[in-house]
Amino acid sequence: MAVDKEELKAKILEFATKKAKFKSKMYIKDLYAAEPNASPREIKNAANDLVKEEKLEFFSSGSTTMYGVPGFGKGIEEAFEDDKSE
Amino acid sequence: MADVKKHDTPMCDELKTGNWPSFVDDLEQRGLAGKQECLDLLGQLELSYKHKETHWKHGGIVGVFGYGGGVIGRYSDVPDKYPSIAHFHTVRLNQTSSKFYSSAYLRKLCEIWDYRGSGMTNFHGSTGDIILLGTKSNQLEPIFYDVTHQLGTDLGGSGSNLRTPAGCIGKSRCEYACIDSEAICYDLTQTFQDELHRPAFPYKFKFKVSGCPNDCVAAIARSDCSIIGTWKDDIRIDQSAVQAYVNGELKPNAGAHSDRDWGKFDIQKEVIDLCPTKCMWMEGKDLKIDNRECTRCMHCINIMPVALRPGVNTGATILLGAKAPILDGAQLSSLAIPFIRMEPPYDEFKDFVGKIWDWWMEEGKNRERFGELMQRQSLQKLIKMAELTPIPQMIKEPRSNPYVFWSAEEVEGGWERDVKAFRSRHAA
Ligand code: SF4
Ligand code: SF4
Repeated sequence: MAVDKEELKAKILEFATKKAKFKSKMYIKDLYAAEPNASPREIKNAANDLVKEEKLEFFSSGSTTMYGVPGFGKGIEEAFEDDKSE
Repeated sequence: MADVKKHDTPMCDELKTGNWPSFVDDLEQRGLAGKQECLDLLGQLELSYKHKETHWKHGGIVGVFGYGGGVIGRYSDVPDKYPSIAHFHTVRLNQTSSKFYSSAYLRKLCEIWDYRGSGMTNFHGSTGDIILLGTKSNQLEPIFYDVTHQLGTDLGGSGSNLRTPAGCIGKSRCEYACIDSEAICYDLTQTFQDELHRPAFPYKFKFKVSGCPNDCVAAIARSDCSIIGTWKDDIRIDQSAVQAYVNGELKPNAGAHSDRDWGKFDIQKEVIDLCPTKCMWMEGKDLKIDNRECTRCMHCINIMPVALRPGVNTGATILLGAKAPILDGAQLSSLAIPFIRMEPPYDEFKDFVGKIWDWWMEEGKNRERFGELMQRQSLQKLIKMAELTPIPQMIKEPRSNPYVFWSAEEVEGGWERDVKAFRSRHAA
Protein backbone atom coordinates (compact mmCIF):
# COMPACT_ATOMS: atom_id res chain seq x y z
CA MET A 1 0.00 0.00 0.00
CA ALA A 2 1.39 3.39 -0.89
CA VAL A 3 1.91 5.71 2.04
CA ASP A 4 2.43 9.47 2.00
CA LYS A 5 6.17 10.05 2.13
CA GLU A 6 6.20 13.05 4.45
CA GLU A 7 3.87 11.30 6.90
CA LEU A 8 6.03 8.23 6.72
CA LYS A 9 9.17 10.27 7.40
CA ALA A 10 7.55 11.83 10.46
CA LYS A 11 6.56 8.40 11.75
CA ILE A 12 10.02 6.94 11.19
CA LEU A 13 11.68 9.87 12.91
CA GLU A 14 9.35 9.64 15.89
CA PHE A 15 9.86 5.91 16.13
CA ALA A 16 13.66 6.15 15.80
CA THR A 17 13.94 8.93 18.36
CA LYS A 18 11.91 6.96 20.89
CA LYS A 19 13.91 3.85 20.23
CA ALA A 20 17.25 5.68 20.27
CA LYS A 21 16.95 6.16 24.01
CA PHE A 22 17.32 2.39 24.44
CA LYS A 23 19.21 1.37 21.35
CA SER A 24 21.10 4.04 19.50
CA LYS A 25 21.81 2.08 16.32
CA MET A 26 19.01 0.55 14.28
CA TYR A 27 18.90 -1.73 11.28
CA ILE A 28 16.63 -0.76 8.42
CA LYS A 29 14.57 -3.78 9.42
CA ASP A 30 13.95 -2.28 12.87
CA LEU A 31 12.51 0.80 11.17
CA TYR A 32 9.90 -1.29 9.31
CA ALA A 33 7.94 -1.33 12.59
CA ALA A 34 7.42 2.45 12.36
CA GLU A 35 4.69 1.93 9.76
CA PRO A 36 3.57 -1.65 9.09
CA ASN A 37 1.56 -0.54 6.04
CA ALA A 38 4.60 0.78 4.19
CA SER A 39 6.66 -1.51 1.97
CA PRO A 40 10.32 -2.09 2.85
CA ARG A 41 11.30 -0.02 -0.18
CA GLU A 42 9.16 2.95 0.95
CA ILE A 43 10.71 2.78 4.42
CA LYS A 44 14.19 2.61 2.93
CA ASN A 45 13.57 5.62 0.67
CA ALA A 46 12.04 7.67 3.49
CA ALA A 47 14.84 6.79 5.93
CA ASN A 48 17.47 7.72 3.34
CA ASP A 49 15.69 11.03 2.79
CA LEU A 50 15.88 11.68 6.51
CA VAL A 51 19.61 11.11 6.37
CA LYS A 52 19.89 13.68 3.58
CA GLU A 53 18.03 16.11 5.82
CA GLU A 54 20.48 15.23 8.60
CA LYS A 55 17.68 14.07 10.90
CA LEU A 56 19.02 10.53 10.87
CA GLU A 57 22.58 9.41 10.29
CA PHE A 58 24.28 6.39 8.84
CA PHE A 59 26.62 4.29 10.84
CA SER A 60 28.70 1.73 8.98
CA SER A 61 31.09 -1.02 9.97
CA GLY A 62 32.13 -1.43 6.37
CA SER A 63 30.06 -4.58 5.99
CA THR A 64 26.72 -3.50 7.49
CA THR A 65 24.96 -0.16 7.69
CA MET A 66 22.80 0.98 10.59
CA TYR A 67 20.79 4.11 11.27
CA GLY A 68 21.19 6.40 14.24
CA VAL A 69 19.65 9.61 15.53
CA PRO A 70 22.23 12.41 15.74
CA GLY A 71 23.03 13.16 19.33
CA PHE A 72 22.12 9.72 20.63
CA GLY A 73 24.81 7.19 20.78
CA LYS A 74 27.07 5.02 22.67
CA GLY A 75 30.43 3.61 21.75
CA ILE A 76 30.73 2.11 18.34
CA GLU A 77 31.88 -1.31 19.57
CA GLU A 78 28.99 -1.45 21.99
CA ALA A 79 26.43 -0.93 19.26
CA PHE A 80 27.84 -3.85 17.31
CA GLU A 81 28.33 -6.00 20.42
CA ASP A 82 24.64 -5.58 21.20
CA ASP A 83 23.37 -6.88 17.96
CA LYS A 84 25.48 -10.03 18.14
CA SER A 85 23.38 -11.16 21.06
CA GLU A 86 20.10 -10.76 19.22
CA MET B 1 65.42 11.79 4.23
CA ALA B 2 62.07 13.38 4.91
CA ASP B 3 61.17 14.38 8.43
CA VAL B 4 59.42 11.21 9.52
CA LYS B 5 59.60 8.87 12.50
CA LYS B 6 60.11 5.17 12.00
CA HIS B 7 58.97 2.85 14.77
CA ASP B 8 60.80 -0.20 15.93
CA THR B 9 58.96 -3.09 14.20
CA PRO B 10 60.94 -6.35 14.51
CA MET B 11 57.96 -8.64 13.85
CA CYS B 12 56.82 -6.76 10.76
CA ASP B 13 60.43 -6.69 9.54
CA GLU B 14 60.55 -10.45 9.62
CA LEU B 15 57.93 -10.49 6.86
CA LYS B 16 60.48 -8.86 4.56
CA THR B 17 62.75 -11.89 4.65
CA GLY B 18 60.53 -14.21 2.58
CA ASN B 19 60.85 -14.88 -1.13
CA TRP B 20 58.04 -12.61 -2.22
CA PRO B 21 57.83 -8.84 -2.21
CA SER B 22 56.32 -7.73 1.07
CA PHE B 23 53.81 -5.01 1.86
CA VAL B 24 56.15 -4.08 4.71
CA ASP B 25 58.81 -3.05 2.18
CA ASP B 26 56.28 -1.00 0.25
CA LEU B 27 54.97 0.76 3.34
CA GLU B 28 58.43 1.47 4.64
CA GLN B 29 59.68 2.84 1.34
CA ARG B 30 56.73 5.18 0.94
CA GLY B 31 56.92 6.14 4.61
CA LEU B 32 60.59 7.03 4.55
CA ALA B 33 59.95 9.13 1.47
CA GLY B 34 57.70 11.36 3.55
CA LYS B 35 54.41 9.62 4.46
CA GLN B 36 54.28 9.33 8.24
CA GLU B 37 50.96 7.42 7.93
CA CYS B 38 52.73 4.46 6.36
CA LEU B 39 55.23 4.26 9.23
CA ASP B 40 52.55 4.74 11.87
CA LEU B 41 50.51 2.01 10.24
CA LEU B 42 53.45 -0.39 10.54
CA GLY B 43 53.90 0.72 14.16
CA GLN B 44 50.28 -0.03 15.00
CA LEU B 45 50.45 -3.34 13.17
CA GLU B 46 53.48 -4.32 15.24
CA LEU B 47 51.51 -3.46 18.37
CA SER B 48 48.62 -5.63 17.17
CA TYR B 49 51.00 -8.53 16.58
CA LYS B 50 52.27 -8.05 20.10
CA HIS B 51 48.84 -7.77 21.75
CA LYS B 52 47.27 -10.28 19.34
CA GLU B 53 44.29 -7.98 18.89
CA THR B 54 43.30 -5.25 16.50
CA HIS B 55 43.79 -1.60 17.32
CA TRP B 56 41.15 -0.36 14.91
CA LYS B 57 37.80 0.69 16.25
CA HIS B 58 34.84 -0.87 14.57
CA GLY B 59 33.22 1.40 11.94
CA GLY B 60 31.89 4.89 12.34
CA ILE B 61 29.78 7.68 10.99
CA VAL B 62 31.60 8.95 7.96
CA GLY B 63 30.57 9.43 4.39
CA VAL B 64 30.05 12.10 1.81
CA PHE B 65 26.89 14.11 1.59
CA GLY B 66 23.98 12.21 0.07
CA TYR B 67 25.82 8.87 0.07
CA GLY B 68 25.36 6.00 2.48
CA GLY B 69 28.28 3.95 1.28
CA GLY B 70 31.68 4.05 -0.35
CA VAL B 71 33.52 5.37 2.70
CA ILE B 72 34.36 3.16 5.65
CA GLY B 73 35.26 4.88 8.88
CA ARG B 74 38.41 3.60 10.53
CA TYR B 75 39.75 5.05 13.75
CA SER B 76 42.84 3.99 15.67
CA ASP B 77 42.31 3.21 19.36
CA VAL B 78 45.91 4.20 20.11
CA PRO B 79 45.96 7.63 18.44
CA ASP B 80 48.42 9.07 20.96
CA LYS B 81 51.09 6.66 19.84
CA TYR B 82 50.29 6.92 16.14
CA PRO B 83 48.68 10.32 15.60
CA SER B 84 48.91 10.38 11.81
CA ILE B 85 46.49 7.44 11.58
CA ALA B 86 44.02 8.58 14.26
CA HIS B 87 41.54 8.74 11.36
CA PHE B 88 42.37 6.27 8.66
CA HIS B 89 39.23 5.95 6.55
CA THR B 90 38.92 3.73 3.54
CA VAL B 91 37.47 5.08 0.30
CA ARG B 92 36.06 2.67 -2.26
CA LEU B 93 35.91 3.81 -5.88
CA ASN B 94 33.84 2.18 -8.58
CA GLN B 95 36.35 0.53 -10.91
CA THR B 96 35.77 0.71 -14.66
CA SER B 97 34.11 -2.29 -16.30
CA SER B 98 36.77 -5.03 -16.54
CA LYS B 99 39.32 -2.73 -14.91
CA PHE B 100 40.70 -1.12 -18.06
CA TYR B 101 42.60 2.04 -17.16
CA SER B 102 44.83 4.41 -19.03
CA SER B 103 48.15 5.24 -17.42
CA ALA B 104 47.06 8.90 -17.40
CA TYR B 105 44.05 7.94 -15.29
CA LEU B 106 46.16 5.99 -12.82
CA ARG B 107 48.69 8.83 -12.56
CA LYS B 108 45.98 11.36 -11.86
CA LEU B 109 44.36 9.09 -9.29
CA CYS B 110 47.68 8.57 -7.51
CA GLU B 111 48.33 12.30 -7.52
CA ILE B 112 44.97 13.00 -5.89
CA TRP B 113 45.44 10.25 -3.36
CA ASP B 114 49.02 11.19 -2.50
CA TYR B 115 47.85 14.72 -1.86
CA ARG B 116 44.68 13.94 0.10
CA GLY B 117 45.38 10.54 1.63
CA SER B 118 48.06 8.11 2.67
CA GLY B 119 49.12 7.27 -0.87
CA MET B 120 48.36 3.63 -0.14
CA THR B 121 46.03 1.78 -2.50
CA ASN B 122 44.68 -1.71 -2.94
CA PHE B 123 44.05 -2.65 -6.55
CA HIS B 124 41.50 -4.19 -6.24
CA GLY B 125 39.32 -5.16 -3.30
CA SER B 126 37.65 -8.55 -3.55
CA THR B 127 34.40 -6.92 -4.68
CA GLY B 128 36.32 -5.23 -7.45
CA ASP B 129 36.59 -1.62 -6.31
CA ILE B 130 39.71 0.51 -6.29
CA ILE B 131 40.45 0.78 -2.58
CA LEU B 132 42.14 3.88 -1.23
CA LEU B 133 43.48 3.17 2.23
CA GLY B 134 43.67 5.85 4.84
CA THR B 135 42.54 9.44 4.93
CA LYS B 136 41.11 11.96 7.37
CA SER B 137 37.46 12.96 7.77
CA ASN B 138 38.02 16.50 6.46
CA GLN B 139 39.50 15.13 3.22
CA LEU B 140 36.47 13.03 2.28
CA GLU B 141 34.42 15.70 0.52
CA PRO B 142 37.44 17.08 -1.38
CA ILE B 143 38.41 13.56 -2.50
CA PHE B 144 34.86 12.91 -3.67
CA TYR B 145 34.87 16.21 -5.57
CA ASP B 146 38.22 15.49 -7.19
CA VAL B 147 37.54 11.92 -8.28
CA THR B 148 34.11 12.75 -9.67
CA HIS B 149 35.19 15.95 -11.42
CA GLN B 150 38.68 15.07 -12.55
CA LEU B 151 38.38 11.35 -13.19
CA GLY B 152 34.65 10.88 -13.77
CA THR B 153 34.79 8.15 -11.14
CA ASP B 154 32.12 7.57 -8.51
CA LEU B 155 32.26 5.94 -5.10
CA GLY B 156 31.66 2.20 -4.91
CA GLY B 157 29.32 0.31 -2.61
CA SER B 158 29.83 -0.67 1.01
CA GLY B 159 27.71 -1.61 4.01
CA SER B 160 24.20 -2.94 3.43
CA ASN B 161 24.19 -1.63 -0.12
CA LEU B 162 24.37 -3.13 -3.53
CA ARG B 163 28.11 -3.56 -3.97
CA THR B 164 29.94 -2.35 -7.04
CA PRO B 165 29.04 -4.79 -9.83
CA ALA B 166 32.01 -6.50 -11.50
CA GLY B 167 32.47 -8.38 -14.75
CA CYS B 168 35.09 -10.24 -16.81
CA ILE B 169 36.82 -8.65 -19.82
CA GLY B 170 34.17 -10.25 -22.02
CA LYS B 171 33.70 -9.16 -25.60
CA SER B 172 36.42 -6.53 -25.47
CA ARG B 173 39.14 -9.16 -25.49
CA CYS B 174 37.73 -12.62 -25.24
CA GLU B 175 36.39 -14.76 -28.06
CA TYR B 176 34.47 -16.99 -25.63
CA ALA B 177 32.10 -14.26 -24.44
CA CYS B 178 28.47 -15.26 -24.99
CA ILE B 179 27.14 -12.05 -23.47
CA ASP B 180 28.51 -8.52 -23.28
CA SER B 181 29.61 -8.76 -19.65
CA GLU B 182 30.99 -5.21 -19.61
CA ALA B 183 27.83 -3.63 -20.98
CA ILE B 184 25.74 -5.59 -18.47
CA CYS B 185 28.00 -4.61 -15.59
CA TYR B 186 27.81 -0.95 -16.62
CA ASP B 187 24.06 -1.03 -17.12
CA LEU B 188 23.40 -2.61 -13.71
CA THR B 189 25.70 -0.05 -12.10
CA GLN B 190 23.73 2.79 -13.68
CA THR B 191 20.28 1.28 -13.16
CA PHE B 192 20.80 0.56 -9.49
CA GLN B 193 22.56 3.77 -8.47
CA ASP B 194 20.23 4.28 -5.53
CA GLU B 195 20.83 0.79 -4.14
CA LEU B 196 24.56 1.20 -4.75
CA HIS B 197 24.94 4.46 -2.87
CA ARG B 198 22.32 4.16 -0.14
CA PRO B 199 21.71 1.15 2.08
CA ALA B 200 18.59 -0.74 1.08
CA PHE B 201 19.05 -4.30 2.21
CA PRO B 202 19.50 -6.49 5.29
CA TYR B 203 23.14 -6.95 4.22
CA LYS B 204 25.44 -6.62 1.21
CA PHE B 205 24.41 -7.80 -2.27
CA LYS B 206 26.78 -8.50 -5.16
CA PHE B 207 26.30 -8.94 -8.91
CA LYS B 208 29.06 -10.48 -10.94
CA VAL B 209 29.01 -11.09 -14.68
CA SER B 210 31.09 -13.65 -16.56
CA GLY B 211 30.89 -13.86 -20.32
CA CYS B 212 31.06 -17.66 -20.43
CA PRO B 213 31.11 -20.65 -18.09
CA ASN B 214 34.87 -20.31 -17.56
CA ASP B 215 33.64 -17.70 -15.07
CA CYS B 216 36.80 -15.60 -14.82
CA VAL B 217 35.30 -13.28 -12.17
CA ALA B 218 34.33 -16.33 -10.07
CA ALA B 219 30.73 -15.12 -10.06
CA ILE B 220 29.51 -18.50 -8.90
CA ALA B 221 31.58 -18.29 -5.73
CA ARG B 222 31.54 -14.61 -4.94
CA SER B 223 28.21 -13.06 -5.84
CA ASP B 224 24.68 -13.16 -4.50
CA CYS B 225 23.55 -13.00 -8.12
CA SER B 226 25.83 -14.63 -10.69
CA ILE B 227 25.22 -13.89 -14.37
CA ILE B 228 27.11 -16.37 -16.52
CA GLY B 229 27.06 -16.38 -20.31
CA THR B 230 26.01 -19.58 -22.07
CA TRP B 231 24.49 -20.85 -25.33
CA LYS B 232 21.43 -22.85 -26.29
CA ASP B 233 22.38 -24.28 -29.66
CA ASP B 234 25.28 -26.51 -30.72
CA ILE B 235 29.00 -26.07 -30.17
CA ARG B 236 30.44 -24.90 -33.49
CA ILE B 237 32.92 -27.43 -34.84
CA ASP B 238 35.59 -26.90 -37.48
CA GLN B 239 36.53 -30.49 -38.34
CA SER B 240 39.69 -29.51 -40.24
CA ALA B 241 40.95 -27.68 -37.16
CA VAL B 242 40.13 -30.74 -35.03
CA GLN B 243 42.45 -32.69 -37.35
CA ALA B 244 45.10 -29.98 -37.06
CA TYR B 245 45.10 -30.51 -33.28
CA VAL B 246 45.21 -34.28 -33.70
CA ASN B 247 48.14 -33.98 -36.13
CA GLY B 248 50.03 -31.62 -33.86
CA GLU B 249 49.80 -28.57 -36.17
CA LEU B 250 47.86 -26.60 -33.57
CA LYS B 251 48.91 -26.45 -29.94
CA PRO B 252 46.29 -27.56 -27.40
CA ASN B 253 45.18 -24.92 -24.85
CA ALA B 254 46.50 -22.31 -27.28
CA GLY B 255 50.01 -23.15 -26.09
CA ALA B 256 49.40 -22.66 -22.38
CA HIS B 257 51.17 -25.23 -20.17
CA SER B 258 53.83 -25.59 -22.89
CA ASP B 259 56.65 -25.20 -20.40
CA ARG B 260 56.70 -28.99 -20.05
CA ASP B 261 56.65 -31.77 -22.59
CA TRP B 262 53.30 -33.48 -22.14
CA GLY B 263 53.86 -35.81 -25.07
CA LYS B 264 51.77 -35.99 -28.22
CA PHE B 265 48.27 -34.53 -28.01
CA ASP B 266 45.75 -37.32 -27.47
CA ILE B 267 42.21 -36.17 -28.25
CA GLN B 268 40.66 -39.26 -26.70
CA LYS B 269 42.50 -38.95 -23.42
CA GLU B 270 42.63 -35.17 -23.09
CA VAL B 271 39.26 -34.14 -24.47
CA ILE B 272 36.75 -36.93 -25.02
CA ASP B 273 37.43 -38.92 -21.86
CA LEU B 274 37.38 -35.78 -19.73
CA CYS B 275 34.02 -34.53 -20.95
CA PRO B 276 31.97 -34.65 -17.73
CA THR B 277 28.82 -35.90 -19.44
CA LYS B 278 30.62 -38.22 -21.88
CA CYS B 279 28.78 -36.69 -24.79
CA MET B 280 31.67 -36.63 -27.28
CA TRP B 281 33.06 -39.30 -29.57
CA MET B 282 35.01 -39.71 -32.82
CA GLU B 283 33.39 -41.07 -35.97
CA GLY B 284 36.27 -41.73 -38.30
CA LYS B 285 38.02 -38.37 -38.50
CA ASP B 286 35.00 -36.39 -37.32
CA LEU B 287 34.46 -35.24 -33.75
CA LYS B 288 30.83 -35.63 -32.72
CA ILE B 289 29.02 -33.98 -29.82
CA ASP B 290 25.60 -34.86 -28.47
CA ASN B 291 24.76 -31.26 -27.61
CA ARG B 292 21.64 -32.20 -25.67
CA GLU B 293 23.88 -33.78 -23.05
CA CYS B 294 26.56 -31.08 -23.02
CA THR B 295 26.61 -29.11 -19.73
CA ARG B 296 28.59 -26.22 -21.24
CA CYS B 297 31.58 -26.91 -19.02
CA MET B 298 33.95 -25.33 -21.61
CA HIS B 299 36.58 -28.04 -21.22
CA CYS B 300 36.73 -29.13 -24.87
CA ILE B 301 36.54 -25.54 -26.09
CA ASN B 302 39.38 -24.43 -23.83
CA ILE B 303 41.62 -27.22 -25.15
CA MET B 304 40.82 -26.74 -28.85
CA PRO B 305 39.73 -23.11 -29.21
CA VAL B 306 40.34 -23.01 -32.95
CA ALA B 307 38.27 -26.11 -33.60
CA LEU B 308 35.43 -25.59 -31.13
CA ARG B 309 33.45 -22.48 -30.32
CA PRO B 310 30.37 -21.79 -28.19
CA GLY B 311 27.10 -21.68 -30.11
CA VAL B 312 25.54 -18.50 -31.48
CA ASN B 313 22.17 -18.62 -29.70
CA THR B 314 23.47 -16.96 -26.56
CA GLY B 315 22.19 -15.66 -23.25
CA ALA B 316 22.96 -16.18 -19.58
CA THR B 317 22.41 -18.59 -16.74
CA ILE B 318 21.42 -16.89 -13.49
CA LEU B 319 22.49 -18.36 -10.18
CA LEU B 320 21.80 -17.04 -6.71
CA GLY B 321 23.20 -17.07 -3.23
CA ALA B 322 27.00 -17.44 -3.12
CA LYS B 323 28.73 -16.15 -0.03
CA ALA B 324 31.88 -16.40 2.07
CA PRO B 325 31.90 -18.53 5.21
CA ILE B 326 30.52 -16.31 7.96
CA LEU B 327 27.43 -18.39 8.78
CA ASP B 328 27.14 -22.07 7.82
CA GLY B 329 30.29 -22.17 5.69
CA ALA B 330 31.00 -20.95 2.19
CA GLN B 331 28.35 -21.53 -0.41
CA LEU B 332 28.32 -21.50 -4.21
CA SER B 333 25.33 -20.01 -5.94
CA SER B 334 22.42 -22.24 -6.93
CA LEU B 335 20.72 -22.32 -10.30
CA ALA B 336 17.70 -20.04 -10.63
CA ILE B 337 17.27 -19.42 -14.37
CA PRO B 338 18.95 -21.84 -16.80
CA PHE B 339 18.69 -19.48 -19.75
CA ILE B 340 17.67 -15.85 -20.10
CA ARG B 341 18.33 -13.42 -22.96
CA MET B 342 20.67 -10.65 -21.93
CA GLU B 343 20.05 -7.88 -24.45
CA PRO B 344 19.66 -4.23 -23.44
CA PRO B 345 17.69 -2.95 -21.61
CA TYR B 346 17.69 -6.30 -19.74
CA ASP B 347 14.10 -5.78 -18.55
CA GLU B 348 13.33 -9.44 -17.94
CA PHE B 349 16.41 -9.78 -15.75
CA LYS B 350 15.72 -6.56 -13.85
CA ASP B 351 12.13 -7.66 -13.17
CA PHE B 352 13.49 -10.83 -11.70
CA VAL B 353 15.95 -8.88 -9.53
CA GLY B 354 13.10 -6.70 -8.26
CA LYS B 355 11.20 -9.79 -7.13
CA ILE B 356 14.05 -11.39 -5.25
CA TRP B 357 14.98 -8.10 -3.61
CA ASP B 358 11.38 -7.59 -2.45
CA TRP B 359 11.44 -11.02 -0.85
CA TRP B 360 14.78 -10.42 0.85
CA MET B 361 13.87 -6.91 2.08
CA GLU B 362 10.65 -8.29 3.52
CA GLU B 363 11.88 -11.56 5.00
CA GLY B 364 15.66 -11.30 5.38
CA LYS B 365 16.97 -11.03 8.93
CA ASN B 366 19.46 -8.37 9.90
CA ARG B 367 22.80 -9.27 8.34
CA GLU B 368 21.41 -12.26 6.50
CA ARG B 369 22.85 -12.75 3.03
CA PHE B 370 20.48 -13.62 0.22
CA GLY B 371 21.89 -17.16 0.05
CA GLU B 372 21.20 -17.65 3.74
CA LEU B 373 17.59 -16.62 3.25
CA MET B 374 17.35 -19.16 0.42
CA GLN B 375 18.73 -21.82 2.74
CA ARG B 376 16.50 -20.85 5.63
CA GLN B 377 13.24 -20.55 3.69
CA SER B 378 14.02 -23.15 1.00
CA LEU B 379 14.63 -23.14 -2.73
CA GLN B 380 10.95 -23.92 -3.14
CA LYS B 381 10.11 -20.56 -1.59
CA LEU B 382 12.65 -18.93 -3.90
CA ILE B 383 10.97 -20.17 -7.06
CA LYS B 384 7.63 -19.06 -5.70
CA MET B 385 8.80 -15.57 -4.76
CA ALA B 386 10.74 -15.11 -7.99
CA GLU B 387 7.81 -16.51 -9.98
CA LEU B 388 10.04 -19.05 -11.70
CA THR B 389 8.66 -22.09 -13.47
CA PRO B 390 10.09 -25.29 -12.01
CA ILE B 391 11.99 -27.36 -14.55
CA PRO B 392 13.36 -30.91 -14.48
CA GLN B 393 16.95 -29.63 -14.15
CA MET B 394 16.10 -28.36 -10.68
CA ILE B 395 15.90 -31.95 -9.51
CA LYS B 396 19.30 -32.77 -8.15
CA GLU B 397 18.85 -36.53 -8.39
CA PRO B 398 15.90 -38.90 -8.14
CA ARG B 399 14.20 -38.66 -4.75
CA SER B 400 16.26 -35.67 -3.67
CA ASN B 401 14.57 -32.55 -4.82
CA PRO B 402 15.46 -29.30 -3.17
CA TYR B 403 13.32 -27.00 -5.32
CA VAL B 404 9.86 -28.47 -5.84
CA PHE B 405 7.25 -29.53 -3.32
CA TRP B 406 3.58 -29.52 -4.20
CA SER B 407 1.10 -27.66 -2.08
CA ALA B 408 -2.54 -28.74 -1.87
CA GLU B 409 -3.73 -25.81 -4.03
CA GLU B 410 -1.41 -26.80 -6.85
CA VAL B 411 -2.78 -30.32 -7.23
CA GLU B 412 -6.15 -31.04 -8.79
CA GLY B 413 -8.50 -32.09 -6.01
CA GLY B 414 -5.92 -31.06 -3.40
CA TRP B 415 -5.73 -33.06 -0.21
CA GLU B 416 -6.47 -32.71 3.44
CA ARG B 417 -4.20 -33.61 6.22
CA ASP B 418 -5.26 -34.23 9.77
CA VAL B 419 -2.16 -33.55 11.80
CA LYS B 420 -3.78 -34.83 14.99
CA ALA B 421 -4.67 -38.15 13.44
CA PHE B 422 -1.16 -38.35 11.94
CA ARG B 423 0.39 -37.72 15.35
CA SER B 424 -1.77 -40.43 16.94
CA ARG B 425 0.04 -42.88 14.66
CA HIS B 426 3.52 -41.27 14.65
CA ALA B 427 5.51 -39.83 17.55
CA ALA B 428 6.72 -36.26 16.98
S1 SF4 C 1 34.58 -15.58 -18.30
FE1 SF4 C 1 34.65 -16.43 -20.38
S2 SF4 C 1 34.19 -14.63 -21.65
FE2 SF4 C 1 34.81 -13.82 -19.68
S3 SF4 C 1 37.02 -13.47 -19.87
FE3 SF4 C 1 36.72 -15.51 -18.99
S4 SF4 C 1 36.82 -16.92 -20.72
FE4 SF4 C 1 36.43 -14.86 -21.53
S1 SF4 D 1 31.61 -28.23 -23.15
FE1 SF4 D 1 32.09 -29.77 -21.59
S2 SF4 D 1 30.19 -31.00 -21.45
FE2 SF4 D 1 30.10 -29.84 -23.36
S3 SF4 D 1 30.94 -31.22 -24.91
FE3 SF4 D 1 32.63 -29.94 -24.20
S4 SF4 D 1 33.60 -31.13 -22.57
FE4 SF4 D 1 31.56 -32.02 -22.92
